[in-house]
Amino acid sequence: MTAFLALLRRDLVVASRNVGPLLMATLTQPVLVVLVFGNILPRLHLVADEFRTVMVPGLMSITMLMAGVQGVLMPLATDLSGSREVDERLLAPISVLGVAIQKVVAGAIHAAVAGLVALPAMMLLMHRVTGVEVHPRWGALLPLVVASGLLSAAFGLTLGTRVQPRFSGLLFAVVLGPLMLFGCAYYPWAALKVLGPVQYVFLVNPLVFMSEAMRVAVTPDVPHMPLPLLIGGLLAFMALFTILGARSFEKRTVF
Amino acid sequence: MRASPLVAVDDLVKVYPARGKQPAVQALRGLSFSVEPGEFFGLLGPNGAGKSTTLGCITTLVRPTSGRILVDGVDVARDPLQAKRRIAVVPQTRNLDRDLTVREVLTYHGRYFGLPAAEREARAERLMAELQVAEKADAKPLTLSGGMQQRVLIARALMHDPKVLLLDEPTTGLDPQARRLLWETLKALHQGGLTVILTTHYMEEADRLCQRLAIVDHGQILTLDTPAGLRKGLPGGQILDMWVRAERPLAPELEGLPGVMRIERVESHGDWEGLERLRLFVDPGDGLLDRVLHVVRDGGADLRHLSLNAPSLEDVYIHLTGKELRE
Repeated sequence: MTAFLALLRRDLVVASRNVGPLLMATLTQPVLVVLVFGNILPRLHLVADEFRTVMVPGLMSITMLMAGVQGVLMPLATDLSGSREVDERLLAPISVLGVAIQKVVAGAIHAAVAGLVALPAMMLLMHRVTGVEVHPRWGALLPLVVASGLLSAAFGLTLGTRVQPRFSGLLFAVVLGPLMLFGCAYYPWAALKVLGPVQYVFLVNPLVFMSEAMRVAVTPDVPHMPLPLLIGGLLAFMALFTILGARSFEKRTVF
Repeated sequence: MRASPLVAVDDLVKVYPARGKQPAVQALRGLSFSVEPGEFFGLLGPNGAGKSTTLGCITTLVRPTSGRILVDGVDVARDPLQAKRRIAVVPQTRNLDRDLTVREVLTYHGRYFGLPAAEREARAERLMAELQVAEKADAKPLTLSGGMQQRVLIARALMHDPKVLLLDEPTTGLDPQARRLLWETLKALHQGGLTVILTTHYMEEADRLCQRLAIVDHGQILTLDTPAGLRKGLPGGQILDMWVRAERPLAPELEGLPGVMRIERVESHGDWEGLERLRLFVDPGDGLLDRVLHVVRDGGADLRHLSLNAPSLEDVYIHLTGKELRE
C-alpha cells in the first residue's frame, strides 16, 4: 500500500505542476461548445432552448472521458516507450496488478477533477440564460463522478496498452469520436425510444452510461435511464476495462 | 562453515513465445550459477547471449519458463515483493523519471520503498555526494550527460539499501573517461561491502571489476571461473596472433612445430575479410618466432599482422566460442 500511495502521489504532483495546460486541454472543448450551442445557436433560433439543459451533463461526461483516457494514455506512452520508465514502478515493492490499478486511480482522479471543474465553468457561462435547468444533486454527483472517472481511466488503460502510440491519432478519430457522437451526450437515452429496439444498441457504448449518470446527478428533471440499468452498466464497463487493461498491461511489461 | 549464496540461479530456462511472424526464441537453456555475499560477479557475452534475460529473471521483470532463483533465501517467483526489496537494478536503458528532478528521483524511490522522510532525505543527500551528482540535484535527468545519468541510476538503486546491485551493461555508450569513472565508483561500492552482478560485453571491464566471471553464449554458461583462472585454462603461456593471406593452409605445418601447443582458426570479419586469422597457443622458447616465420615464407603466404600477447579474456572467449566477441 505504501508503494501504491507513493506512486499515486508522484503522479498527482507531476500533474499539479502542469495544471495550466491540463486545465486548458480539459476546458477548451466544453466551454466552446457551450458558447456556440448554448448561446449563439439558440439566439439564432437554430436549436431549441431545451438543448442547453440536455447538453450540460453530456459535455461533462465527454470531458471526463477525454480526461480519463488521456490521463492514462499519455503517461503510459512515456512509460512503455524505449526508455521503459515503467520498469522503475514495476521494481517497487508492489505487484504488477497494483501498478496497473494505480494508473487507473490516477487517471480517475484526473477525470473527476476535470468533470467537477467543467460543470461550474459551464454553469457560469450560462448564468442567467433562460431555459437552463441545471440543478446539481451533489450527493449523487460525487459517487457518479468517481465511477465515471474510474470507467474512463480503465478504458484509457485498455486503449493505451493495446494500441501503439503511433496510432493514437487514429484512435481519437475512429474510436473516441464515434463514442462521443453516439454517447447520448447531446440527447437523453430515454428519448431514443423513437428509434425502437435500436435504442438498446446504444448500450454498447460506455459513454452512454456516463452521460446518463451525469444527467441523473445534474439535470434530474430531464428523463433518464432507469437507475439499476445505469449503475449496472457503469460497474460492468468499469470491471470489463479494468480486467482487459490490467491483462494487457501485464503483457506489455512482464515478459 | 560456508555461508549460503546471496543469489542462487538454478537451471534457468526461458523461451519467449512466438509472436505473429516471429518464431519462439529460446533465450536461456538451463543456466545455473550462484553469487556469494560481497562478491563482484560478471556475466560476459555477446549481444543476444541471454545476459539481460538472466538479469530480467532475477529482477522479476521476465518470467522464467522453468528454473528457480533465490535471492537472500527468497524465491523470486513466489514472493516477488520481498525479492524486490533485496535487489536493485541499473537497467540497460536509462529510465530516469523525466518529470522529476535528480533529488526527487531519489526521494521518490525512497517513498516507493517506504523510507521515512528524514531517512530518505539524508540518504539522497549522501548518495548524491558519494556519486558526484550533488551539483545537479535540482536539474531534470534528461539534461545530464550519459555518465551522470548512469551515476544517478546507481544512486537511485542504492536508495533502499539493497543486498545486491544488478547492472545491465552499465558502460555501453559511455565515453572512455566516463567509463573509467564508473569503474572506480563500482569498485568503491564493492569495497564498501556491496554484492554486485554485472553484465558486459567489454572484456576489459569484466577483467578489471569481476572476481568471478561466467562466459555466456546462446543462453548457456560456457565456463565460470576467476579471470585469472579462465586465462590459466588456456594451453601454452602466450598467444601468437597472425593474419595471413595464404595460397595453401598453413595450420598443419605450424601445428607440427615444437612450442606450438594448439592452433585455432578464427572467423574474421570487417577489414580483415578474406584473410585467415590463426591463433597459436605457444610456449615461446628459443627460435619459435623464427620457425613460424619460416613456415609462412616457405608457404608463399602474405603475412599482414603478427602479435605475441599474454592471454586475455578475449582469448578465452575466442577459445571457447571460436568467434570474436562482437562489440
